[in-house]
Amino acid sequence: MKKFFALLKVSVKSMLLSSTNSRGRSRKKAATGAGAILLIAFLGLYMSGLYSSMLMQVLSPIHMEVLVFIFMGMGALVGGLLFTAFAVKGVVFGGRDNDLLLSMPVSTTALMASRVAAIYLENLLFSLFVLAPAGAVCAFMTQSGVGHSLLFWVRLLVAVVALPLLDTALSVLLGALVAFLSARVTRGALGQNIVMGIYMAAVFWFAFNLNGMIEGLAENAAGVKESLSWAAPMLWMADGILGDWGKLLAFTACCIVPFALVVFGLGKVYRQAVTAFAARSARNDYKLSAQAASGQKKALLVKEARRFFGTPMYLWNAGIGLIMLVGMGVAAIVMQGKLNEFLAMMGGALPVMPIAAAVMGFCLCTCVIAAPSISLEGKYLWILREAPVGEQPLLWIKTGFELLLTVPCTILAGVCLTIALRLPIGEAAVLLLAALLFCVIHAAFGVLMGLTFPKLDAVNETVVVKQSLAVTLGMFVPMAALGVCALLYWLGGFIAPAAALALPLVLLAVFAVACALILAKKGPAMLRAL
Amino acid sequence: MLRIEHYSKTYPGGKKAVDDLSLHVRPGEIYGFIGHNGAGKTTTLRAVAGVMDFTEGVITIDGHDIKKDPVGAKRVTAFLPDNPDLYEFMKGIDYLNFIADLYDVPAEQRTKDIGKYGDAFELTGNLGSPIGSYSHGMRQKLALISAFIRRPKLLILDEPFVGLDPSASHLMKGYLAELCQNGSAVFFSTHVLEVAEKLCHQIAIIKDGRLIRSGPTAELVGDSSLEDVFLELEGEK
Repeated sequence: MKKFFALLKVSVKSMLLSSTNSRGRSRKKAATGAGAILLIAFLGLYMSGLYSSMLMQVLSPIHMEVLVFIFMGMGALVGGLLFTAFAVKGVVFGGRDNDLLLSMPVSTTALMASRVAAIYLENLLFSLFVLAPAGAVCAFMTQSGVGHSLLFWVRLLVAVVALPLLDTALSVLLGALVAFLSARVTRGALGQNIVMGIYMAAVFWFAFNLNGMIEGLAENAAGVKESLSWAAPMLWMADGILGDWGKLLAFTACCIVPFALVVFGLGKVYRQAVTAFAARSARNDYKLSAQAASGQKKALLVKEARRFFGTPMYLWNAGIGLIMLVGMGVAAIVMQGKLNEFLAMMGGALPVMPIAAAVMGFCLCTCVIAAPSISLEGKYLWILREAPVGEQPLLWIKTGFELLLTVPCTILAGVCLTIALRLPIGEAAVLLLAALLFCVIHAAFGVLMGLTFPKLDAVNETVVVKQSLAVTLGMFVPMAALGVCALLYWLGGFIAPAAALALPLVLLAVFAVACALILAKKGPAMLRAL
Repeated sequence: MLRIEHYSKTYPGGKKAVDDLSLHVRPGEIYGFIGHNGAGKTTTLRAVAGVMDFTEGVITIDGHDIKKDPVGAKRVTAFLPDNPDLYEFMKGIDYLNFIADLYDVPAEQRTKDIGKYGDAFELTGNLGSPIGSYSHGMRQKLALISAFIRRPKLLILDEPFVGLDPSASHLMKGYLAELCQNGSAVFFSTHVLEVAEKLCHQIAIIKDGRLIRSGPTAELVGDSSLEDVFLELEGEK
């Protein structure tokens, strides 16, 4: 047990250090890291609280509070899976310290358990952020008073702790499948991308269906609960939280058993699994033909593209926003009729173009391609340093690569939304201008964050792409800027309609110019100092 | 080809890794740089390659000041660290083309050189595989090929013999000699004193960041062996 805790300490410490960058001597940087985590916690609690209260408003009068916990539980399960399934291959099976730790006198089950525990802790946070606000909402809004007893909170705590066990077991199995396939398929990255693509499609299908169910809640809540019999553990969890100890016990067993099977089962064959997943022998059948030459900039850009498309973890985490952006535009065109019906029903009360801009901005925030690109150089940084290329072109290539992906998707989404929402030409121009300025901000700010909070010694790419402070700030600071834009739009409305549009545009333009200038003036020195 | 004048490097916290080092590597020379662990060899090589900043002194390569004109200096240089990490998401051939593109190597020349060095190091057949699937020795060979195809005027190598099999080591020595015959220079660090003694025209010995002896190998060694001289200078004999 002592050895397990020592290993667990290393896993968790590594995760925390990468999230907060607190290893550096700068207290300011550590404080920024802690601040970013608090911001995420606040956003998680706020969003979960908002959804829970919306559901509770509909369901409490008909005494169907149980559905709030079913839906929020499913949300936590799917969200956790989405968040951690990508991480498993790197964190559990692909750590660079595998050789070191496997050579030590510790059981492989303990090693496997310590790695899985890091995944469990991430899922636990997810579960806490989603279910705790649902509990609070239940305590304040329910008419039956079920949330007022201490035992209710004890049962909720059991659910919060147990649910991530199930999440973790599913994540580890999916991660093991991905690792297995990438070791067996010649084009490993392609195989992983296909698996992840199918998985993401399933998650989106589930999310859309869940949305449909929520829409029909008021009319037929009992029927909705009936139709969820396939998700029996979630029903048991919800009934358990609301007072049925037997079902809570059944749910807890449903979480513990798969987790134990995964940890002890895979733990027994951990050494074989790690060896099999890493075993990729070089082929010996290449025939050299005439090679083609290209310029320095193209070579660097192609290198960024190879890393992005050849690293499924990076592609699916940073590229999901691109899919959402294009998907949203196409969906708006396809569902044009319904969308306009809804807008007509609202009687022109909604600021359509600003909402479209905000949604596009939100999608762009999740395209954190540039922010981790500095840290991903990691041990390879010497190659760029010894190359006859100045620091400034290197930084612009990294910024430019994100723009190369985000700008076409932004234009496509903007045009689709303009057509679907029948925006006047002036508003369409403002929408596109704002979105393109936001693309520049996001890319340049991302590179700046990568330079300010580098994580060059990460044990795998997962740590950089999912847990580094640069990525957190690269996503949430532009999101906060979107919030300020919304505030300026609202304030500008008191002056004149033109001011409402101009003020956010000016803010975006100033932010974009500031990021570009800082990157141009300070960026090279920051890169040299790494 | 390489001129180091009064070079010093102090790490944050005040530790002086290298103190007032000066040496000169001429075209056509193989220059060995030896010293015990932590003497300052790698720190010096990294500064010469423009990978690491330094506090004092001037380093010029083929007339280009590494601080004032780093891109010009790097264009004529190839550097290999002791444990070269190469992009694992690339195939071997992609990596060689990437390096060749950065150094503006013409298509015809790179095809010829990749074939020449790839065949010699028995790596051509593996060039279509991802670097992630290479063994340590294969990566070392690929890194060496990537250095040779640049046809550098100055080749900087940090412990180049570590990880290479005897036939690859033998080949490499031959190619280093060939490079020097064509007017280039080689500046490398090593702990293999026998190799340094046989291969190098000049040798410098560094101890605690200070140059304690340098000169033509024959003069430095005299009737003794490099090992004896080294141990005597290190105060271990």
